[in-house]
Amino acid sequence: MSLLKDNKIIFVIIVVAVVIIAAGLAIYYVNKPAAPPRLIIATTTSTVDTGLLDYLKPYFDSKFNANMTWLYLGTGQALEVASRGDADVLLVHDRVREDAFVSSGNGTLRTTVMYNDFVIIGPPSDPANARGTNATAAMIRIAQAGASGNATFVSRGDNSGTNALENRLWTKAGVTANGTWYVSTGSGMAPTIRVANEKGGYTISDRGSFYKLRSTMNASLSLVILCENDTSLLNPYGIILLNSTKYPNIKSDLATDFLLFMVSKQGQSLIGNFTVDGQQLFFPLYGNPESIGLPSENATVNYLNSLLKSRGLE
Amino acid sequence: MEGFVRALQILFSGDHEILGITLLSLRVSLTATLLGAAFGIPIGFLVARRDFHGKSVVTTTINTLMGLPPVVVGLVVYLFLSASGPLGFLRLLYTPEAMIIAQMILTFPIVCGITISSVLSLSPKLKETLVSLSAPSSWEARVLLNESRLGLITALIAAFGAAISEVGAIMMVGGNLLGYTRALTTAIMLYTNMGEFATAIALGIILLLIAFGVNLFLTYLQMRSRIKRTT
Repeated sequence: MSLLKDNKIIFVIIVVAVVIIAAGLAIYYVNKPAAPPRLIIATTTSTVDTGLLDYLKPYFDSKFNANMTWLYLGTGQALEVASRGDADVLLVHDRVREDAFVSSGNGTLRTTVMYNDFVIIGPPSDPANARGTNATAAMIRIAQAGASGNATFVSRGDNSGTNALENRLWTKAGVTANGTWYVSTGSGMAPTIRVANEKGGYTISDRGSFYKLRSTMNASLSLVILCENDTSLLNPYGIILLNSTKYPNIKSDLATDFLLFMVSKQGQSLIGNFTVDGQQLFFPLYGNPESIGLPSENATVNYLNSLLKSRGLE
Repeated sequence: MEGFVRALQILFSGDHEILGITLLSLRVSLTATLLGAAFGIPIGFLVARRDFHGKSVVTTTINTLMGLPPVVVGLVVYLFLSASGPLGFLRLLYTPEAMIIAQMILTFPIVCGITISSVLSLSPKLKETLVSLSAPSSWEARVLLNESRLGLITALIAAFGAAISEVGAIMMVGGNLLGYTRALTTAIMLYTNMGEFATAIALGIILLLIAFGVNLFLTYLQMRSRIKRTT
């Protein structure tokens, strides 16, 4: 008897709690004004850390009556999240995996929208003597100095686009990067630079993230650029539209709007005008990837140009 | 120091974005604490009062879950709510509701575990008296829960503390979307990553003030109920 009664009370408590919550949620949703549709961009840490997306958001939002938001991820995780259908569009920087993503049927279209470059940064004392060499030679010297205990290399180790580039450089240099001199942070670009800074180590960063962090940290960031302007350090960013047949719930129209905005004259010039401390961090590249030695994207560009024209967005 | 100045500036400027972030944190963590209590207190009471097979196993399990790592909860809830997960059709991923679900999974075992131990630690004499009076079980529950109210408030304090300070779970299931699912802890992480330490510290101070305010209220309840008991 007592068992029955006890359960009754608890049952009543639970029912009352559920009813209150349901009523609360219902009132909340009914009264909520229609908000502009939310676009979720899965993107890499550099576009967020530099402030580029914060800068572009008001222009995009007002033009398309949208609410642009983003997930702060490395390229590897961004592709994974998008392949599960949890994001509307991709803005990432690892060509090899971007192409694989599209050819596996997850994406329908990819185009290069902008680029910047990577730089090898390290302590001003430069114990590995990497200054002024090309990227591959610098990696070899850092590894050698590391093996003899004079240098540390700090890796993203997070499967990001930067991490993928780093691994390509190690392969090119013929170095197996492991040992006590090789540290893996498993986190984003800015945290990794800060670890390298604390340890007086070397790392590879996209130029934008490094400049931005330098402008916020000022004198407390002692690392300097040691190696730059090497074609193997170029860093193109691509936008990928997802397959709306495979992911019916994503906002594919809004995603297309975002792509068109980024490749339109307005978007491209906004990207070029974005500066941190007077430094331009991203260079518009839509329609002209050949200019930095990348393969032509004529078919895609022609298609997008006709879309831009029909939408009056040129 | 710069952070304190910045914090004061932000607090008094009524910055719209920061205000939104703060309100979201409060809404998510308070709801998660209340929901955790709505399930945790009755279930904890039942476990403490009943004798059944595997009672010690259940109690140990609940106590272990009190230390559940938020990132693991976040990952599991993410996989469930993901568009290609079993609950993807609910379209809850990257919403405040998803954050509440994740935090509720964290607060439930905390409330439940502390409820069990505070009901178990009540004087056996009290229980004997209730039995000798052959009190109806509804009455018994009321008396026992009332007597363990100090412990129950402690449970709420601990659960709210865990929820409001947690970052791993809500980062994963909320996505830290600007103006929607960005909470105090996830914003602190983002600003730290961006090297904007002053803003991060300012948000940290707001977080502490909120935790202080809520705990002040709960502690006041606790004090008042203790005075009642002694008089």
